[in-house]
Amino acid sequence: MIRSENGYFGEFGGRFVPEILLPALTELEDLFFALRDDPAFWQEFATLCQEFSGRPTPLTPLRRLSKQLGGAQIWLKREDLNHSGAHKVNNVLGQGLLVQRMGKQRVIAETGAGQHGLATAIMAARLGLDATIYMGAEDIERQYSNVFWMRQLGSDVVGVTTGAQTLKEALDEALRDWAATVETTHYVLGTACGPAPFPELVSYFQSIISDEIKEQSLRQMGRLPDEIVACVGGGSNAMGAFGAFLEIPEVNLVGVEAGGVSLEDGKHSIRLSQNTGETGIAQGYKTLFLQNDDGQLGDTHSIAAGLDYVGVSPILAYLSQQGRVIPESATDDEVTEAFSLLMKTEGIIPALESAHGLAGGFKRARQMKPEQNVVINLSGRGDKDIFTVARAFPQREWTEFLQREAVRSSEALAKKRGH
Amino acid sequence: MFPAQYEDLQIMSHAVIGFPSLEENEKAIAGLAEAGVKLIELQVPFSDPVADGHTLVNACYEALKHGGSVQATLDLATTVCARHPEVTFILMSYLNPLFRYGLQELFEKAAAAGIKGMIVPDWPVEEIEPWLPTLDALGLSPILMVTPNTSAERVEKIAKASRGMIYVVSRMGVTGHETQWGEKFQHYIAEIRKHTDLPLAVGFGVRTVKDLNALTGKAEVAAFCSQYIEWQRDEGSEVAANKMKSIIREIDSLQV
Repeated sequence: MIRSENGYFGEFGGRFVPEILLPALTELEDLFFALRDDPAFWQEFATLCQEFSGRPTPLTPLRRLSKQLGGAQIWLKREDLNHSGAHKVNNVLGQGLLVQRMGKQRVIAETGAGQHGLATAIMAARLGLDATIYMGAEDIERQYSNVFWMRQLGSDVVGVTTGAQTLKEALDEALRDWAATVETTHYVLGTACGPAPFPELVSYFQSIISDEIKEQSLRQMGRLPDEIVACVGGGSNAMGAFGAFLEIPEVNLVGVEAGGVSLEDGKHSIRLSQNTGETGIAQGYKTLFLQNDDGQLGDTHSIAAGLDYVGVSPILAYLSQQGRVIPESATDDEVTEAFSLLMKTEGIIPALESAHGLAGGFKRARQMKPEQNVVINLSGRGDKDIFTVARAFPQREWTEFLQREAVRSSEALAKKRGH
Repeated sequence: MFPAQYEDLQIMSHAVIGFPSLEENEKAIAGLAEAGVKLIELQVPFSDPVADGHTLVNACYEALKHGGSVQATLDLATTVCARHPEVTFILMSYLNPLFRYGLQELFEKAAAAGIKGMIVPDWPVEEIEPWLPTLDALGLSPILMVTPNTSAERVEKIAKASRGMIYVVSRMGVTGHETQWGEKFQHYIAEIRKHTDLPLAVGFGVRTVKDLNALTGKAEVAAFCSQYIEWQRDEGSEVAANKMKSIIREIDSLQV
């Protein structure tokens, strides 16, 4: 796994935070550095992932779809089969082990699509911790089912109403909470971004994905894959899928960003490719940000809330600058098409975030030979996207059902109030 | 200029450039100068101000819609520094707008505009240290922050890199909430004084005359910012300046 030099990966990374947060970051870093090379700690983590989240997740061959596309053999790394439905839980379980060692009783988290928030709520419930989840008000509307479950699990979900009301603002608000509560609270950062040591720490726990891909490829394909494809929001599932292959140049690593509706400012979330992102320092770290000439962070758009983010992992910014990671993008339309294709051809319902990886991966696989292998990281499952997908593929029956359900739900509430 | 160590308590106040508008900024600053404020922070609005509470977050958001920017701040600084020579102007910004402008060029232009100090909450001491020779040559003082959880070792390092004064964050959290000024706070101040001869500017939670009273004789500067911006927002710059004037009179009468 890649290591930073004093928190930096080339020119990216670092720790640009208000002084008040420094002691907690140092404490976390000291603990992480003391544990990361300890095989017993990794074993403890892997066992927890096995017992609680069903790891290792399978590597599923897409035989029918590969044949239909006529290119390379496509395999899916099934992170959607994790408990909570996405790869996010890997990092959260790992940080849970750290929280226990630090003896803190409260956790906070930012969340975009709600998968990280949900995983944090699950971890907090399991360990008996208080949890506050910050989520943009816009994202709450897009991913309400996750909000519903976080609250049921006992977490406090706070809607953030500043700015564009998405992941960027949720992260700002989590940092503000942390500044006030840092002595008793751990910030479970959900992606490979933010101040050191988070990019390195999150990538470390997520690298369990690529460790498994490596072993499963050797067993199932008889060799390593030619290419690994992952969607890139903050970058945690991509870093997880790439980690164990960084030193193996024969394996191409492809990161697919959200192309949104167009390349116009505010209509996409492409930071790595096409010279859209520029070096900046915000939210505690230095990376490629979408920003204007005055250094104000820009607005982003994606059909997938989890990719709708203005910065990107400093590790991926560095690897992309070095040419190790190939940046690609997929538009909202390409994504819904890939989503539908996987569902109908292979019977798997992907998250819209992960469907970006599918769109990019399918496109590349078509250009490859049948004896080649592409692994796409299916970072999450699509149940949470039911409302968004229903709008992308409108059906009268669904709308009528929602109307009936709204009536039933109002009646239940009135009855509860009446008691 | 910056106050000397143990000088009477002075008030530092605030302008968010572009809030409520660039024209209003000039009037508001004139009002503060007239009220007797000797130190004024000129805040470059930023899209993601993580050390600020909701008052300043919302002011930044508004300011960006009304033309606030690094360039607008430098332009305004040139005007107000010339117009109010009795006031020391301090540039307050998050790092990214300055970084995008180009740090070297920004420092030169800020110094040329007449700005004397800089407060950049997300710019850690390790990253400032290499710039100290440049800043010293330009006469631009980096005012670094110390917080209640900063270790003695780090206070020492921060004190060494600070110029003009040290910004003492009174409590955990962000700007704009209440603070307690008890024995614990006095001990905190005393610990910082062990590492520096610089005057101390206390900020975060200085919202009332009572807060200012509590700080007289303990600190040289009180940063009276979020409350002032709330007055400005709710009652206009003129009323806000009048309120500052009466507060300053009250504090000065106590210190005679």
